[in-house]
Amino acid sequence: MIAELGHLLAFLALATAAAQSYLGLTTGGEAPRRLAVATGMFLVLSMLTLVISFVRLDFSVALVAKNSHSLKPIIYRIAGAWGNHEGSMLLWCVIMAGYGAAAALWMRNDRLRDRALGVQGLLTLGSLTYLLFASSPFTRLADPPLDGGGMNPLLQDPAVALHPPFLYMGYVGMSFVFSLAAAGLINGTIDRDWAKRVRPWALTAWSSLTVGIALGSIWAYYELGWGGWWFWDPVENASFMPWLVGAALVHSLIVTEKRGGMAAWTVFLAVLSFCLALLGTFLVRSGVMTSVHAFATDPTRGLVLLAGLGVAGGAALALFAWRAPKLASGPEFDPVSREGALVLNNLFLSVGAALVLLGTVTPMVVQWLGEIKVIPPESASLSIGEPYFQLTLAPMIAVLLLFLPLAQAAPWRKADLSPLLKWLTPAMGLALAGALVAMALGGWGIWLGFGVLVGLWVVVGVGFDLWRRVGPAGIGRVFRLPLTVWGMAIAHIGVGVFVIGATVESAARVERTFPLSNGQSAEMAGWTFEFQGVHSEEGPNYYATQADIKVTHGGTTEMIHPEKRFYPVADTSTTEVAIRKTLGGDVYVALGDTIRDEPGVWRIRIAHHPMIDWVFGGASLIAVGGFISLVARLRRRAPAPAESPAIDPTAEAPATPGVGATA
Amino acid sequence: MIAGVVIALMLQGAGGSDVPLADATEEARAQGLMRELRCVVCENEPISQSTADIAVDMRRVVRVQIDRGQTDEEVRKYFVDRYGQFVSFRPPLDGWGVALWAFPFLLLLGVGGAIGYRMSRARKAGLTPIPDDRGGGGDA
Repeated sequence: MIAELGHLLAFLALATAAAQSYLGLTTGGEAPRRLAVATGMFLVLSMLTLVISFVRLDFSVALVAKNSHSLKPIIYRIAGAWGNHEGSMLLWCVIMAGYGAAAALWMRNDRLRDRALGVQGLLTLGSLTYLLFASSPFTRLADPPLDGGGMNPLLQDPAVALHPPFLYMGYVGMSFVFSLAAAGLINGTIDRDWAKRVRPWALTAWSSLTVGIALGSIWAYYELGWGGWWFWDPVENASFMPWLVGAALVHSLIVTEKRGGMAAWTVFLAVLSFCLALLGTFLVRSGVMTSVHAFATDPTRGLVLLAGLGVAGGAALALFAWRAPKLASGPEFDPVSREGALVLNNLFLSVGAALVLLGTVTPMVVQWLGEIKVIPPESASLSIGEPYFQLTLAPMIAVLLLFLPLAQAAPWRKADLSPLLKWLTPAMGLALAGALVAMALGGWGIWLGFGVLVGLWVVVGVGFDLWRRVGPAGIGRVFRLPLTVWGMAIAHIGVGVFVIGATVESAARVERTFPLSNGQSAEMAGWTFEFQGVHSEEGPNYYATQADIKVTHGGTTEMIHPEKRFYPVADTSTTEVAIRKTLGGDVYVALGDTIRDEPGVWRIRIAHHPMIDWVFGGASLIAVGGFISLVARLRRRAPAPAESPAIDPTAEAPATPGVGATA
Repeated sequence: MIAGVVIALMLQGAGGSDVPLADATEEARAQGLMRELRCVVCENEPISQSTADIAVDMRRVVRVQIDRGQTDEEVRKYFVDRYGQFVSFRPPLDGWGVALWAFPFLLLLGVGGAIGYRMSRARKAGLTPIPDDRGGGGDA
């Protein structure tokens, strides 16, 4: 019964979403608001019925039969509800309608909200139609099996169980930013008030996307068994493009909100970020690429997604082309100013996104050109990976980051750089000294040193800017700085920490594979690994071959047990690596295969990943900074006496809690 | 002498060993190359990270070639000649490949130049900074 209830609830949501979009775009008022809340509630309950079916192992539901198993631990039964194509599409709809419901509850009642709810209703309607008629998770089996087919065991992992919800909070969150952009364009006003009301949604989506990407990266690092945290794989790039554009958006929104400038560009980014999120979904779901991450692939699904992308993106761009010329350009500013710096930020981040797009789709296009014989098939294969992005994107971002501390300190409209440069010179000196010391200690080359310098400069420079803000006399007052400043500073420090970690990890990583038989030892980076054979273990739904390796390092000895798991239900093997954390990085040991023709000899892959925690720590700080900025905006809004949204080029909205207008 | 080392490496590697080159700089070069060559039987992995037999063989070949005194470029060419451009994660720097490499920088310079030109032409004298308000000027 419960699956039918879920199915019915989804159909009810289809009806309310249709009414929501119609009334939102026409009459507005209370009706679309209530309908948006109803759509959200129906879909949350619908998702709940699916989760219950998964928890209760109701194998008469086709999706459960295919993707769950009685031996699966309870937490992965729950996560199994979205660890497959149909379930993740339902999650997509839930989150999309959830954003609509949240907006209905918290946004001020006016034309912008009504129309945004209308557009969001349309997007929800489209997604639900696809869900119910092309990939329904509620289909019953006439003849239920006794047990289920399991789930891709690679996905049986806490990080990846949480990865889809966060990633979708990000991807789908961009849908509401898109709706607000479309609503603003329909209204014909993209002004400071619009930007102020869009920013919390953009921050929510972008920060969640950051968390989602970081979780995926952490999972790839320890679960795929090769110790890579980012491989410029098409699926990774698919999430990175909307992230870059989202980063540009959360910055350009500041210019629009504070100064009323860059309105057309900001609204364009808002449209673009959701289009790229859809493109990413298309790339992942359609099977147009070969990738380690493409779990659910099907060409027809791809076509539907591509059509959706074409309709939503095309309509929004047409709307944009119609309205953009009439949008007011903001007040004047000197190129050397906060505005100018944020233009620079947007230029680099957008070009970066275009670069990633080019590097991602070119191999697919080349392959396709070969298939239709436009170019000779034998030369129609191309790989674009790490070397390309390291030599194009990395230097570009490095140049951008050299400006970051200055940009953060520059005033609006016109900046006099000389006092800022004077203030920041010691920061540059400190960063330079730090990088030189690190180079000397690590024996690092010039490029590695430069990457570390950029990262240190960002961290130290941001610190100096905080100091400047409180004034040299009152360093203790640093904690009384407004929350918005803290959000910005923490996110920027996260960028610096990430750059240091990523540079060092990529350049100084050591990887080796040793063939070892019982009793043999290997040595690396001052660690000794003595292989003492393998033994068998049994888990709830897998069999494991566990290696016993005695590790000696600096007088201490311990046993580690990297293992290979075999999941009989799914007929798949996975690798469980053994990781030992040290101050300088991770020692990473993976058990490979036995060697052909040599019984008893196993391949053991040992790697040293220096400063890997800085990579994940930096990414986490970026997300934390984003969420702090969000909280700052929500708190400021609370006791709001409505302030005039009119654009006053001389006045800056003070960063004082309680003074900002309603959102 | 060198031939002897090569043969020793080949034989020694028969069991799937990863014997690093004696010279640390050469070994670093070899590891760098291994990270940009694609394991041809895996889905999307460089040979540096794969435990597949062929990846082990390819790693050995990289070391043998480096040991023979080949340049990075020659080693890349060796693999591209045998497996096609697909094997290299580094797109070629000739023909259309030049466009691929140049595109990001041209785009940056083109768009950046256009914006810079417009902003400098519209530049007004007499604009004054908007002062920070109790240090909160930041992103606020």
